[in-house]
Amino acid sequence: MALLVLGISRIGCVLLALTVAAGIAGADEPSAEEYQVKAVFLFNFAKFVEWPAAAFKSGDDPFEICVLGRNPFGTQLEDVVRGKTVGKRTFVVRSVSTAKQAAGCHVVFVGGSEQKRVQPVIDELKGASILTVGESADFLENGGIVNFKIKDSRVRIEINSQCAERAQLRISSKLLSLADVSKK
Amino acid sequence: MTPMRTLAASSFKAPETAKSSRLVRLTLRGLAVALSVCVVAADPTDRSEDLTNLSLDDLMNIQVTSVSKKEQTLSKTGAAVYVISQEDIRRSGMMNIPDLLRMVPGVNVARLDANSWAISIRGFNDRYSNKVLVLIDGRSVYSGVFSGVYWDQQNVPLENIDRIEVIRGPGGTVWGANAVNGVINIITKNSKDTQGGLITAETGSEESLEGLAQYGGKIGTKGTFRAFGNYFNIEPASLVGGSEGADGWHGSHGGFRSDWVLSAADTLSVQGDLIQTAEGQTVTSVIANQLPLVQTFNDRIRFGGGDLQAQYSHTLADGSELTLLSSFDRSRRDEVGANVETKINTDLQYHFKLGGRQDVVAGVGYLLTDETFTGLIDGYFSPDRFHDSLFSAFLQDEIELTHNLSLTLGSKLEHNAFTGFEFEPTAQLVWTPVKRQSVWVSAARAIRQPSPLDENIHVAASIIPSDAGGFGVVQISGNPDLKAENVLDYELGYRNQLNRRMSFDVSTFFSNYTDLRTTEPGAPFVATNPTHLVVPEMWGNLARAHNFGAELSGSWDVTSRWRLNAGFSVLSMNITPDASSRDTTVALTGGYSPKHQAQLRSSVRLSRRLEWDTSAYFVGALSNGPVPAYTRLDTRLGWTMGESISFSVSGQNLLSPYHLEFLNGTLVQPTLVERSVVGKVTWRF
Repeated sequence: MALLVLGISRIGCVLLALTVAAGIAGADEPSAEEYQVKAVFLFNFAKFVEWPAAAFKSGDDPFEICVLGRNPFGTQLEDVVRGKTVGKRTFVVRSVSTAKQAAGCHVVFVGGSEQKRVQPVIDELKGASILTVGESADFLENGGIVNFKIKDSRVRIEINSQCAERAQLRISSKLLSLADVSKK
Repeated sequence: MTPMRTLAASSFKAPETAKSSRLVRLTLRGLAVALSVCVVAADPTDRSEDLTNLSLDDLMNIQVTSVSKKEQTLSKTGAAVYVISQEDIRRSGMMNIPDLLRMVPGVNVARLDANSWAISIRGFNDRYSNKVLVLIDGRSVYSGVFSGVYWDQQNVPLENIDRIEVIRGPGGTVWGANAVNGVINIITKNSKDTQGGLITAETGSEESLEGLAQYGGKIGTKGTFRAFGNYFNIEPASLVGGSEGADGWHGSHGGFRSDWVLSAADTLSVQGDLIQTAEGQTVTSVIANQLPLVQTFNDRIRFGGGDLQAQYSHTLADGSELTLLSSFDRSRRDEVGANVETKINTDLQYHFKLGGRQDVVAGVGYLLTDETFTGLIDGYFSPDRFHDSLFSAFLQDEIELTHNLSLTLGSKLEHNAFTGFEFEPTAQLVWTPVKRQSVWVSAARAIRQPSPLDENIHVAASIIPSDAGGFGVVQISGNPDLKAENVLDYELGYRNQLNRRMSFDVSTFFSNYTDLRTTEPGAPFVATNPTHLVVPEMWGNLARAHNFGAELSGSWDVTSRWRLNAGFSVLSMNITPDASSRDTTVALTGGYSPKHQAQLRSSVRLSRRLEWDTSAYFVGALSNGPVPAYTRLDTRLGWTMGESISFSVSGQNLLSPYHLEFLNGTLVQPTLVERSVVGKVTWRF
């Protein structure tokens, strides 16, 4: 038992040393759950991307954010856009599994685990005025417009500007300036 | 094979066991100290804060965590599961899989010498532990000879591991024979996640060199691959007496993995390895053909092996999934004899929903094992070649009884060459009274089927000198009628994700083992050439055990830059031979596993480029040996330079110049674990 206690008290010392270290680490950085942050980005795209007029039925037609395949957000996406408006438009969140169902969506999010499986759907959406948003390394190469990547534990954005043009989407210079832009 | 749902890693103390009250008080005091100081440093960010008010720049500056995503799945699992993530692996600074397993409360890890380990879950620890199933990407890496694992042969480059999932408790229903006390599943990364080049080089005071060179690329539009080569050379350690051991080793490993998305519904993975190692050990053994000679000598171990496996998945229109896994393994190991092993395995599994409330997994499998074991120094296998055809079928149904109560029922039916039909049922009930909290109870049966070591071996275990000038030999013989060892296991667990930063789980178990293996002495007789007395001992099934224990684990993100993980486990093993047994040592074998283990790990991000990790692992004394308790203290400083280069320096086993972890080597003389410093460079391009 003596050895046991010795072991534990050593662990206690380590703990104390670490506590002090964390104090040295100093001011804390803001943090949030990954998909909460991504949900807020999807909401922000409505403000920083301009859709052609034909993408909406009317001036107060809501924004439709769609999740293709498995939904990694839980309820966080709904929670983020609930009660929010951009101009006169409110938000609607939908789950879709085919290109047909995605007609009428303004943003289509494709989860990292789903991309390969739903690639044919992404192919069909190419050229439509839909902002496709993914989160895998080769999403832009496979025809996506915006991609989330995690770097230094922060969400970064990559944009394929040529695909955006083809889809008749105008991305604000503010958003472009913060993103890695590729043209292919 | 069976994709176990990905679960969260975690460990935090919530002491509730009465047995270790003193320990608990001390631990609590430690935590209280930490709490009182840390409150100052706690993160002021409130989760209810509306992130939508932030500017894009601010949003991009938020550190993200993915705890909750993982733990949502965790909360529905009715088993004691622990996941070691790639981040845990990288930040541990550890260099091999056995050491990584120390992170899991309830897993017993003891290093015997530089190239061999005794590893088990919930007791029965031994170099030849035979109650834990180990898989790499669903492929069993069991040695068919003793139904255990040669850990030195399992050299997966740590950078390529996606996660290690450890299930404590029986996994027989899905995984089959030998998943008696748990399953360790090492899952490697998909090759699409290892694109580009990777070079690592590592050197240290106990390890002269380890290096990995890898490249990953695309094959057409549908496929990706990676190919790697790995070399390591590890210095010998010291024997207990202080002289240098023979346990230095080196090895090389080449491998590849290729993943294909053939269509929206079809995926294919193909992977393979070629491994070669040369290592040594100090052995004390009877020399069977020179009786009564007992010799201590340096044994050279050589291992060469290869494996190839393919996994194909097809998703049907209704969302159900069909998976086919086939693998081929062949190896030769020279260690006090020559063992050539071939394994061919095929598993077919179907996962579907039945109605709105049932989630069913069904599977059939076939495993062919072919072994030869020749030239054994202290005896022989008779016959020296053996086959086992293992046929299995299982069905597991997860039924949603109400919105917060789910019941899982299942069973496996197997047929093996040693004991015929075996039946391994399970029942689990998971209750989720409120979101983020769950309680589970389960009952399961699992078996360990006998191996050639149990049935075919004949070895001279020891020499009994006699005053008259003659000698006696204790001769251990396999028993062709040996039965499978059984366990009936009952578990009760509780899991709570207190908030976004803190979670813990507690699992308690009671395991009732019957037909445990014993050695039963027979009537001595006289043998000739030279004339000596033989004391025969044969394996029997004449012991039982009542084991119980608990494991606690938790994790706490004290701030967004600082995470603590803690774990604690208690184990009580009570092995009793039957009245008809004459085995005098089996009751003591419980003493090879520690009663208490505790750990604390800390990961601090000092700045964007600098990280500091420290971990302490306490392992209680082993009464059989005896081996004193020890605490392993490791610390690591990692520095990322620019985009692609990172450095780290780790100090390991810092508290003492050397210590001993295990004494029961079965012929092998243990060496000491020494304090060491390791430096590593990683370059990605």
